[in-house]
Parts: sequence; C-alpha cells; structure tokens
Amino acid sequence: MVMAEGTAVLRQNRPGAKQYIQQNIRADCSNIDKILEPPEGQDEGVWNYEHLRQFCLELDGLAVKLQSECHPDTSHKTPKECPAIDYTRHTLDGAACFLNSSKYFPSRVSIKESSVAKLGSVCRRIYRIFSHAYFYHWQIFDDYENEIFLYHQFTKFVMKYNLMSKDNLIVPILEEVQNSGSGESEA
Amino acid sequence: MDEQAGPGVFFSNNHPAAGGAKGLGPLAEAAAAGDGAAAAGAARAQYSLPGILHFLQHEWARFEVERAQWEVERAELQAQIAFLQGERKGQENLKKDLVRRIKMLEYALKQERAKYHKLKYGTELNQGDMKPPSYDSDEGNETEVQPQQNSQLMWKQGRQLLRQYLQEVGYTDTILDVKSKRVRALLGFSSDVTDREDDKNQDSLTDSASVLDNFKFLESAAADFSDEDEDDDIDGREKSIIDTSTIVRKKVLPDSSEDRDTKEALKEFDFLVTSEEGDNDSRSAGDGTDWGPNRSKLQDMLANLRDVDELPSLQPSVGSPSRPSSSRLPEHEINRADEVEALTFPPSSGKSFIMGADEALESELGLGELAGLTVANEADSLTYDVSANNKDALRKTWNPKFTLRSHFDGIRALAFHPTEPVLITASEDHTLKMWNLQKTAPAKKSTSLDVEPIYTFRAHKGPLLGHTDAVWGLAYSAAHQRLLSCSADGTLRLWNTTEVAPALSVFNDNQELGVPASVDLVSSDPSHMVASFSKGYTSIFNMETQQRILTLESNLDSTANSSCQINRVISHPTLPISITAHEDRHIKFYDNNTGKLIHSMVAHLEAVTSLAVDPNGLYLMSGSHDCSIRLWNLESKTCIQEFTAHRKKFEESIHDFEESIHDVAFHPSKCYIASAGADALAKVFV
Repeated sequence: MVMAEGTAVLRQNRPGAKQYIQQNIRADCSNIDKILEPPEGQDEGVWNYEHLRQFCLELDGLAVKLQSECHPDTSHKTPKECPAIDYTRHTLDGAACFLNSSKYFPSRVSIKESSVAKLGSVCRRIYRIFSHAYFYHWQIFDDYENEIFLYHQFTKFVMKYNLMSKDNLIVPILEEVQNSGSGESEA
Repeated sequence: MDEQAGPGVFFSNNHPAAGGAKGLGPLAEAAAAGDGAAAAGAARAQYSLPGILHFLQHEWARFEVERAQWEVERAELQAQIAFLQGERKGQENLKKDLVRRIKMLEYALKQERAKYHKLKYGTELNQGDMKPPSYDSDEGNETEVQPQQNSQLMWKQGRQLLRQYLQEVGYTDTILDVKSKRVRALLGFSSDVTDREDDKNQDSLTDSASVLDNFKFLESAAADFSDEDEDDDIDGREKSIIDTSTIVRKKVLPDSSEDRDTKEALKEFDFLVTSEEGDNDSRSAGDGTDWGPNRSKLQDMLANLRDVDELPSLQPSVGSPSRPSSSRLPEHEINRADEVEALTFPPSSGKSFIMGADEALESELGLGELAGLTVANEADSLTYDVSANNKDALRKTWNPKFTLRSHFDGIRALAFHPTEPVLITASEDHTLKMWNLQKTAPAKKSTSLDVEPIYTFRAHKGPLLGHTDAVWGLAYSAAHQRLLSCSADGTLRLWNTTEVAPALSVFNDNQELGVPASVDLVSSDPSHMVASFSKGYTSIFNMETQQRILTLESNLDSTANSSCQINRVISHPTLPISITAHEDRHIKFYDNNTGKLIHSMVAHLEAVTSLAVDPNGLYLMSGSHDCSIRLWNLESKTCIQEFTAHRKKFEESIHDFEESIHDVAFHPSKCYIASAGADALAKVFV
C-alpha cells in the first residue's frame, strides 16, 4: 500500500538495535566481530542490553537441547548436578523477567545507569549455563556452538564490554580470546 | 574478710570521698547485725556495705514501681491515641464516601442531560469531557458544575433519600425495577420520545402518586431525622429534602417526562451505589435495604459500600439482574434485546484447549517461529455461566489492564484457557509462556500491571511430523479429537490427537490455491473447515470426503498482487458465516452456504492481521499493523471501540514494512481480551 510505505519512510529510517543484531547474525553467525560492533551513534548501554536479550533468546535453544539429555537417569549421576537443568531454566526465566521488567528497563532506547551495573550479574549467571553445558554435555555444546557460535560471541561480548572478570571465564576454549585483553596468561 | 565483704571491699576502698547518705548510718547498723566487726568498721566509715546494698535495692524498687506506673500510663495514652486516630479515619472515610457519591451523582446527571439533549435535539450535547469520575483524588475537579445544576444535584440527593424511605415503607425495589425497566425499554428503542409519552405518563403518574402519598410520612420522618443527627452533611440533606418536596410538588403534575427522568435517575443512582469504583463487574443487590434515616443505618450503608469495594473484581452477580454502572447505561438499553438473544444461542461446537506442554501435540506444532497457535473455547453448554455471559454481552468499553512482558521477540499468537484466567503466548523467541491473569504483581502505574509468566515452555526446534515448512495455523476440535494445521509447504493436514504419528488426511491443494495462511473449523458444521490462501481465495472443505466444497466469492483478477493476501479466516461461532482479514485492509463476511460475499468493509489503515469473535458471536475484534485493535458490533458492522496498542517494530529495513499486532483473542468465558504485539508485549484488556 502506498500509504503504508510513505508513512514508513517518514519515520525512523534506521532499524533498531535489536533488528540490527539479528540481521547480522542471520547474515553470518560466525562473523563475531561484525555482530559485536555497534553502529555509529549507538548508545553502549542499549547495545549491551539488546545483545543480552539476544543471548538469552538463543540460549533457549541450548536449554532445549539440554533438557532432553539432562535427566536424573542419564550420564551424570550425582544428584547435585541434576538441578543444573533447573538452574538453567531458572536463570533464563529470571533473566527474561529482569531484562523485560519495566522497573529496570523502562525504555529500550536509553538504559538507566543503575541497571547497566546489573547486566554484569546476569552475564555471570548465563555464563554458568555455558560452563555446565561444556563440562557435562560437551557433545551438545559442541554441536550447538558449531551451529551458531553462541559461546564465542558471548565470551567476546563480555570481554569487550568488561561485563565479567576474566577469572570467571573457566571454559578452556578460546583461551586466546581470554588472554587477549590483558596479556597475562590464565592458568 | 568474709565473702560478703569480698566483693564489697571494692566499694569501701573506692569511695572514701563520697559524701551524703547519712541515713546509711542507722540503716547500716541495723543491717549489719549479722556482721559484727565488719558492720562496726563500716559504720565508722558512715557507709556500710549492706547498707549501701539495701539503699540501692530500695531505690531500685522505687524506680521500678515508678516505671511500671509510667508504662501503664503510656499504654493508656497510646490506646487513647489509637482510638482517636481510628475515629478520625472513620470520619475521613465517611467524608470520602460522600464525596464519591456526589461525583457519581454529578456524572449521572451529565449522562442524563446528554441523553435528554440527544433525544430532544437529535445531536450530541457538548459537555466537555464525559469520562466517569475517578476516585483517586478527593477533589471534584473533573466536573463542571453549572449553577443551575446545584439545585438539581440536591434534588438528586433528595431523590436518593426518597428511595430510602420508600424502602422502609415497603415499596420494594422490584416494583420500581419493573416499572423503570419498562420505561427504559421504551426509551431505548424509540427515538421519538413523544409517542411514548402517554405510556410513560401512566407509569410515572402512578409512581408519582404513590411517591406523593409517601411524602407526608417522609416529611415527618425527615423531621425526626434532622433532630437525631448533628452532622453537617446530614443537615444539609435534610434541607434538601424539604426543598425536594417543594420542587417535586411543583414539577410532578405538569411535567411527567421529567419525572420519568428522575425515576431513571434514581434507578441509576441505585446502580451507582451498588457498583464498585471504576470497576464494572461487581454487583450486589439490595444495598438500599440497609439505608435508613438513622445515622447508624447510614454508617451501615457506608460500611456496606466499603464491603462492596472490597469484593474481588471478577465476582459475577449472584442472582440479581445485571446492573451495569452508569458509564454503560446508555448502551445498556440497546443491549437488552441482545442479551436475550445471547442466552438462546449456546455455542454449538465444542472446541477445546491445547496445552503446549502436551508432548504429543507439541511435537506437531510448527517451526521455531511459532506462527500459529489456535485455541478456542471449551463450551460447557450445559453448565454455561449465564451471568458471565451477560457480562460479556454487555461489556462495551474495554480498558487496558495488564501488559505481559517477558518475551524477547515478537509474539505471534495467543490463546486463552477455556475457563481459567490463564493466557498462553507464543513468540518468535521460540518459547511459549503461560500467564496467570489473576496473580499480578503490583506496579507503580495501576493502568498496566505486570504479570509474571508462570511457566515458560521451551521446546520448539523445527517442524516435525509431516509438515516440511512453517505451520501457520491450527484449529482444534475437542469434540472430535481433531487437529487441523495449515503450513507454508502448501498443505492442510488433519490429525487425530490421540495417535499423533501419521496425519489422518492431507489436503494437498497442489498449490493451486496458493499457500494456506489460516484455517478454521466451521462451527456450524463439524465436518467442514474453511481455509484461506495467500493468493486471496478462501475455500470450504469437507474433511470427511476430502473434497473442496466451494470457494468463497472473491473479486480477484489474474494479475492479483500481494495485497489480496488473506491473513486470517475465522468461523462465526453460531452463524454460518466466515470472516476473513485481508492484507488490503478489508474485512469480509461470507455466507458458508452460498459462498457469497455478505459484507465487506475497510477496517483499518493498514493490513488486518488477526480476527477474533467473542464467544457469544456478537462482537468481532480485529488487529492490524496500524497498531490499533478495533471492536466491531457484528450486527451493525460498526466499530464500537478502538484501542491503540503496541508500537511498531521494524522488519527488514529493505522492505520498510512495519508490523505491529499479530494476534487478538477473546477469553471464552471471562471478560478478557488480549492482543499479541510484534514488540514482544501482550496486552490484556478488561
């Protein structure tokens, strides 16, 4: 419809951060640098926020794969490890709730300073999902990673924006990435 | 020396310079009877250890007594404070309730005037902003009170009291109800008032006559009433009674239509009293029975009001005829006829609810992007809640209530539970979320409460079981245990929900009609289904013979472009009508038997994406990419209400195509409607 297109042109002519990220991912999910690089003029807080949303979204896919395997009667027997799937669910639900709450993030075009600080804690919890998957369900982790390179993306993301300290990055792949920031080598 | 002196040696060593305590001397001597040498030694020093101890103990005891006394006093004072505070609060509540009532009255008056003016002059009276009064602030700043309204206001209050007295006398509510209902019915269905004058005259004359008869009695009661009470506001009302009586006497005989209006005003007022603030759902009959001239009775009434306020908002009326609040009165009259009709049409087809958690079904459902989720009401036609039905039929003004935020990407579809206040949303972020609409977290803004999802279903990875591409639509029939799906691979499949594995039948249209975008079961004929295709055709199929029965009429030429795409087709729950939502902004109604186009209307400013029919088949709701949801009256095909919800989301910037609302739904048995937005929010309206 001509009318619809006309009005569309008049409005904001740049897609939102979220669409931009999703576009880049769809184009090439292994090109992590392109995905992580914000377009010019993009507010960093918003950029981080949108990325985190995208990670949670894609992590759901991993959670789905895990839930088929992470049962009491499968590979790992110790009871304390099984709540990992519950932890995963709980973390993702909690992250969804937090990232979507109007209390902490009332607007998607500008992020409050106080909320930016909390992004780090969300990252830490999400990281634990990755590390559990890596250490206990390596096959699934590997398959998923080769599909969408989510872990690489996530690690580079937290490094780039200093959302987590390097000590917390315990998954031993990508060591070159983890070391690149500081130049000290991790044990 | 000895043990007693042990700890006390400390004392005598430490206060050689301490003066005073002459009284200790004799005390010391008396107390030191058991300690010969030590006592003598201590007496010499004017302080004896036991004496000191004794003195201290004595003082301490005294202090304790005093403290106890102070505590008692303090407790008494605090009790008194609490009591006074309580009383003050009671007074404030009283004042607030009265102010509230005044606001209700003023609003009702405005309504009446608008109605009267409209009937008299055929045009709307411009009264400025006519929204129902809000009760948050105690200042009555939203009403414009014109000087002449004052007397009418007092008149109204007088009328209210009259009502009270009538109750006492025994002129019961029901008689008044019946009469005013008749009057109202007459009023509602005739645009020409004068024809009904005679009938109304008779009604109101009999009413006014009996009213007048009671007046003598009431005056004396009013006299007593004013004697008993000292409150200012009660006194004010007493004056108004006297005024009212004079006014009524003057007015009643020549102008009986006015009387009818006042009767209706009284009627309204009864509604107003029994309705909650701002919430149209609560009803309780017989609030007026608690009224009385006595102050205590007045307080009972106010207490009752408060009780009414505390009722949970969704409690349906128990037995009394439905009494909407004044904001819906004008429409109420029109709806009476509808109400009757609604009751005689119980839904004929049994559709049922799909829970995403059902493993078997889940694996059938579509793609990572859940584009279609269809759930319809489960009709317990035998145990249908009639009063809830009435409410649905009557609900005309919807207000946004909840905003459901938890999805990361656009919500494509939503479905209500057949009976519970539960909503399930399906989103492009590969999850389904279930929401409890009754358990809400309080948020700062009361207009949009946040609801937490109870559960998040994560399971969709890709299409399974037959379809090779995205599933766009589903339709489920509980009565027949059948599930219908339509997919981007061009096929429609029928499944038996008890054994999932092979599809029962495939309607592979060989792409001749295009890709099916939406499918629905025909409510009036359980063996039929209606499907709409991307090329702009809609067809009805017989599921048993697997034949296409007919193609609904559509005016398309061979060079049809994408604007003829049909986004949604639904079947009317009771009539043999199919309704389609088009990309070209139209909504079209087709007769299922003949295939002819019954009606076509331009519904929105942009493509219409979704449709929903309310369980009674009276209203149609349509959602569109122009960010608006519109509610239509199906009989008149006119738009009743429009909401703007969900800001737009940009799709690929290449197409400059903005999406907004993907789905809308009615709750099958409760008063909820929901809309699913591309902005990852779901909104629920009550």
